[in-house]
Amino acid sequence: MRMPNSRIVGLGAYVPDSVVTNADLTRLMDTTDEWIQQRTGIRERRHIAEDTGAADLGAEAAKRALAEAGVRAADVDLVIFATLSPDYDFPSSACVLQKRLGISGMPAFDVKNQCSGFLYGLSIADQYIRTGKARRVLLVGGEIHSTGIDLTTRGRDVGVIFGDGAGAALVAAESDSRRGVLSTHLHAEGKYAEKLWLEAAASRSRPRLTPEMLEGDRPAIFPRMDGKYVFKHAVTRFTEVITEALERNGLGIDALDVLIPHQANLRISQMVAMGFNLTEERMFNNIDRYGNTTAASIPLALSEAIAAGMIREGSLVCLAAFGAGFTWASALIRW
Amino acid sequence: MPKILGMGYDLPARRVDNEELARELGRSAEEIEKRTGVTSRSYAEAGEGPSHFAAAAARGALAEANLTAKDLEFLIFATMTPDVTFPGSGCYLQHKLGCETIGALDVRAQCAGLVFALDVADRFLRSGQYRRILVAGGDVHSSGLDFSPAGADVTPRFGDGAAVFVLDAEGEGVLGAAVRSDATELERFWCEFPSSRRRPVRFLQSDFAAGKHFPKIDEPYVRKSGLEKIPSIVEEALSVANLRRADVSRFVFQHVFPDVAEGAAEALGVRERTSVGGRDGGHVASASLGITLCRDREAGRVSPGDVVCLATAGAGECWGAAVLRL
Repeated sequence: MRMPNSRIVGLGAYVPDSVVTNADLTRLMDTTDEWIQQRTGIRERRHIAEDTGAADLGAEAAKRALAEAGVRAADVDLVIFATLSPDYDFPSSACVLQKRLGISGMPAFDVKNQCSGFLYGLSIADQYIRTGKARRVLLVGGEIHSTGIDLTTRGRDVGVIFGDGAGAALVAAESDSRRGVLSTHLHAEGKYAEKLWLEAAASRSRPRLTPEMLEGDRPAIFPRMDGKYVFKHAVTRFTEVITEALERNGLGIDALDVLIPHQANLRISQMVAMGFNLTEERMFNNIDRYGNTTAASIPLALSEAIAAGMIREGSLVCLAAFGAGFTWASALIRW
Repeated sequence: MPKILGMGYDLPARRVDNEELARELGRSAEEIEKRTGVTSRSYAEAGEGPSHFAAAAARGALAEANLTAKDLEFLIFATMTPDVTFPGSGCYLQHKLGCETIGALDVRAQCAGLVFALDVADRFLRSGQYRRILVAGGDVHSSGLDFSPAGADVTPRFGDGAAVFVLDAEGEGVLGAAVRSDATELERFWCEFPSSRRRPVRFLQSDFAAGKHFPKIDEPYVRKSGLEKIPSIVEEALSVANLRRADVSRFVFQHVFPDVAEGAAEALGVRERTSVGGRDGGHVASASLGITLCRDREAGRVSPGDVVCLATAGAGECWGAAVLRL
């Protein structure tokens, strides 16, 4: 019996209302609009203005994706939530999302694969659908970074980059073998785990959270990044994993209609595009408005690319990501 | 149908008995044992996260499978207490094993993490995406517990450790699995902080006193729920595998309250062939089922070819069962 394909049949995005411009950040830290734009391409991002969890943003995005798909939340077979900023220490944000949506019974779990989380989640959804164990998977990427970054001069290298947001996809079984997710490709290289990481709370420390971890020149409760190192690896791995997806399907870069890169840094996306000779109209970026939203960035960009008319039925779309772990991934989709 | 090529487990060297906990928790060793049913547990040393124990467990499982880390195509790590906040413990394990650039997925499903991870692995193998996957479950709870009298009801219940399965796409290993979640009562068994929803920062100096960074368990609720959920998910997984209780040579149940797992076995009428972990090692959320199964094998309670059924219920709530052929 032929396995069904999986296909994204609904997409939704949600960001908090509160816009934080580069000029706003200059009031919190020693930085400039020019410096931030030149290095990252970011003009503004969203930060939550009141206590709000990743699953709260995720629930709004999920409702939109479900509405677009015409699927009731209760008919979802599996919930996957990709996040590195969960609502609570435990349980998972996938569980919190279930509660927000008022659904229960189907399995729900979190994927913690940082910037590649959405694509790791898409690959999992694809396997459940292809093997017939699920027909409708709700896949959400959601992050609240603003409560986990150092918004002072001390933390500016990382603090200016990240934003809050969520994106959701309803992934369903598709009988037309020419449409949907053609292949997914997942990688990691833990050797570089501490080139971009957030240490505390850390179960390997005893105790895992101490008053000292909240203080000092580089508090362990805020992320740390070796920016140059990450940049160089990102360009290499993005290029490799896009090539891998195309080659697996016997296609060349000319066949690709749209590349949606994880929105890590506009300069990384531009370097990758340049390597493939991809013109601007074949790549979608929105990092200028949202910053890096890690697991949320791909569905957030994908939904806007569709709204902008860049992707139509039949379009060949490549989603690709690279980030902390290091992890990197891609998915090739016939829309 | 995936086949189990190897299994392994690893525990910290440091054993902690109830005498050692008694003074800090303000209860006698006898009271702790009476209250929790746990006699001792193992605690990690500083610098040892779940990936440390998973790496040792993985080396054993790979040796048994006659494979090297280079033969693996994917790695899945279940933990509720990751080595660091990010990246996930899977990335650390991948580096410790020397796996090159295979994918390393981290799954969070609390106490049911190992069963969820086995179900995910089963899907990746059945779809043909990968041929060989290493599934690890590991937790270091001891660094996140309340060693004051306020923690006396919860702290003694938990222990540290890891367990690993190496699965191959060809053969007959995972016969059926069922996993479920229901978050309606998620605050009955949870740890609120650090919380990304909390502004301006996930954790403040003033939060230490409130103890919201320690796990909280509503005992009556969690007991009742576990007693309902373990038997029902066992029946469901058996039905997926198209088997009956009589076909299973050994059941392995786990719950943060060991007597709940035992009660579930009674309810199913299989108490005499059920192993329950935790009394001599504490609840190692993501690993206990694997640790207990490996120990059953060491003790000759299970043999190659046997059908076993693992089941658990816990925080989330997430619960699950997997029927395996060894």
